[in-house]
Amino acid sequence: MATIIEGIGLNKQFGIGDAAVAAINSVDIQIEEGELVMIMGDSGCGKTTLISLLGCILTPDSGELKIDEQVIDPENQDLSVIRREKIGFVFQLFHLLPYLTALENVMVAMDITKTNTSESEKRAKELLTRVGLSERLDHRPAQLSGGEKQRVSFARALANRPKIIFADEPTANLDSRQSDNMMNLIQEIRQEQNTTIAIVTHHEGLKENADRVIHMKDGRIITS
Amino acid sequence: MNTLFLKDMRYRRTRVILTSVGITVLVSLILLLGGIMHGMRIQAQQYVKSTGADIWISAEGSGGAFIGFSLLIEENMAPLNTAPDLETGSVSPLIFAQARPLIRGKSTKAIVVGYMADKLGGPTGVVEGKMFKSSKFKDYRPEDPVPDEVIVDEKMGVQIGEQITIGTDTLKVVGKTKSLMFVLDTPLLFMDVRVAQKVLLGNYPRVNMMIAKSKPSTIPGKTDQAITIAANLDASDAIEARTVKQTLDDIIGYYVDEPMKAVQFLRVMLWLASGLLIGMITYVTMLEKTQEIGVLKAIGGSNQYVMSLLLKQVAIISVIGVSIGFCLSYIFAAAAPIFVAINFTESIIVAAISIIVCCGSGYLAARKAIAVDPMIAFRGEIDMGYTPQGETFAHSDA
Ligand SMILES: Nc1ncnc2c1ncn2[C@@H]1O[C@H](COP(=O)(O)OP(=O)(O)O)[C@@H](O)[C@H]1O
Ligand SMILES: [Mg+2]
Repeated sequence: MATIIEGIGLNKQFGIGDAAVAAINSVDIQIEEGELVMIMGDSGCGKTTLISLLGCILTPDSGELKIDEQVIDPENQDLSVIRREKIGFVFQLFHLLPYLTALENVMVAMDITKTNTSESEKRAKELLTRVGLSERLDHRPAQLSGGEKQRVSFARALANRPKIIFADEPTANLDSRQSDNMMNLIQEIRQEQNTTIAIVTHHEGLKENADRVIHMKDGRIITS
Repeated sequence: MNTLFLKDMRYRRTRVILTSVGITVLVSLILLLGGIMHGMRIQAQQYVKSTGADIWISAEGSGGAFIGFSLLIEENMAPLNTAPDLETGSVSPLIFAQARPLIRGKSTKAIVVGYMADKLGGPTGVVEGKMFKSSKFKDYRPEDPVPDEVIVDEKMGVQIGEQITIGTDTLKVVGKTKSLMFVLDTPLLFMDVRVAQKVLLGNYPRVNMMIAKSKPSTIPGKTDQAITIAANLDASDAIEARTVKQTLDDIIGYYVDEPMKAVQFLRVMLWLASGLLIGMITYVTMLEKTQEIGVLKAIGGSNQYVMSLLLKQVAIISVIGVSIGFCLSYIFAAAAPIFVAINFTESIIVAAISIIVCCGSGYLAARKAIAVDPMIAFRGEIDMGYTPQGETFAHSDA
């Protein structure tokens, strides 16, 4: 298996002087292609910061990051290109655009990559059907349940066939049944598409789905 | 999905409508003020142009026929009548002066125009009634009776046969001319120059200006001929002479541009206000959209992508607001109590500038807004719009 994410000596600090918080402290991490990794740890230990770094949303203060064998150089590179071409995100609070239907919310991701409309509509329909929402295409986020919203958001993350998906507490706002449904769906998709998936969670019960669990404490990885 | 920005606008339509209405009102006011000034310019010029005279003469030191105090005597006419560059017999004495006549017991603003019936300076004809009986200016002796008759503007609402009192004299309305108002809808009262002298100057044989036509092509390269002729006449130390163009410039400067400086300033302020308005609303809208912008960036939207979404909205709102304002200004103009002439070309230019001002300030606001950190997508603090409470469990998950 090839290594798809490789971080060496990553550091990220927020604030300066006395108020400085070392959110990520000398972290080395490797994730293999197709792996399903869970990142766990107490609140505030740096999980979100870590996947933001790996997902090219934040830039590290120091350290080196390679995604899909490409060294990331935030100084000379537009990171939004990497985000839209290689990465999909699922957020705890779904973050669907309230003025768009489920279908359009998925299509937005492909609007960003300038996919033509008929093609993106076709793919969005396929994806929403795949996540079990073929009956909900024209519903707005306000008309969907939390579980449904998270599935739309997952479909959006898949839209541009990313190699990696990062999900930050994707089930934290779902009840246990919705949460199980979501995890099953993630598993299925991973098997179908060999997508690499990193999930931040504090649900001990989800561990059994993972290939590997990374535990964090105070900005460091303690076991992986 | 190039309609993403339209969907956003439909979702926030109340704000879109309110912003457009704000721009509409401001732009229509800007255009209306322009129309008022343009209307004043037209009125300032129309009488002077209607006379057909291209040389305007006033007393030395008056600064121009319509500007300072000017009194000319009959003797001033003699050298003009023999001036080789002026059309023979075209020199015409003229009185043009503000007055406050009493009409039906009410004091009204008007301008007395006293001219000689067979010379320049009068109306082309009457639309109703007849011309006044004329006196013989040359044969004037102060004790001669003058015809107390006047011709009024058709829009004054005065009927033929009615009386108009100016000072201690009462004149009878004998005819109406096609409307030809001076600045701020001031009507002209045409009368014999002798009558004007009687009612305004206590019967003194004076006029405040003389007008004439230059002889065509007395000087080669005739475009600037009037200027040369006027300059030649002006060399005399009894009179000042100007071309019709100089005279019109004087009138516009004196009656329109000078007094309307504050209005011009107000127009610029209104422009700034509309720019500020759209800038502020865009900025406030952006603050509300911080989360959305952050999410769009997090899922791979480049700054240009987000910027184009925002700018398209600003552009559409600006164009809609300005276009409706454009149409509205014509409606306002029609309803205005004074003469308003909106100049189409000028309005188009003003509208285009307004759109640029609005888009520019929208752009500044948008540039600030797109600086959001996409990291915000992982956070929920300001995510009030769609937190799961109350919705999440409202539907069961199939
Ligand atoms: N933008 C920020 N500014 C200041 N401190 C931050 C910021 N983001 C995170 N932190 C701090 O960094 C630490 C790690 O945060 P985070 O990665 O969100 O933790 P987790 O996701 O594990 O709960 C926390 O102490 C948090 O307060
Ligand atoms: Mg977190």
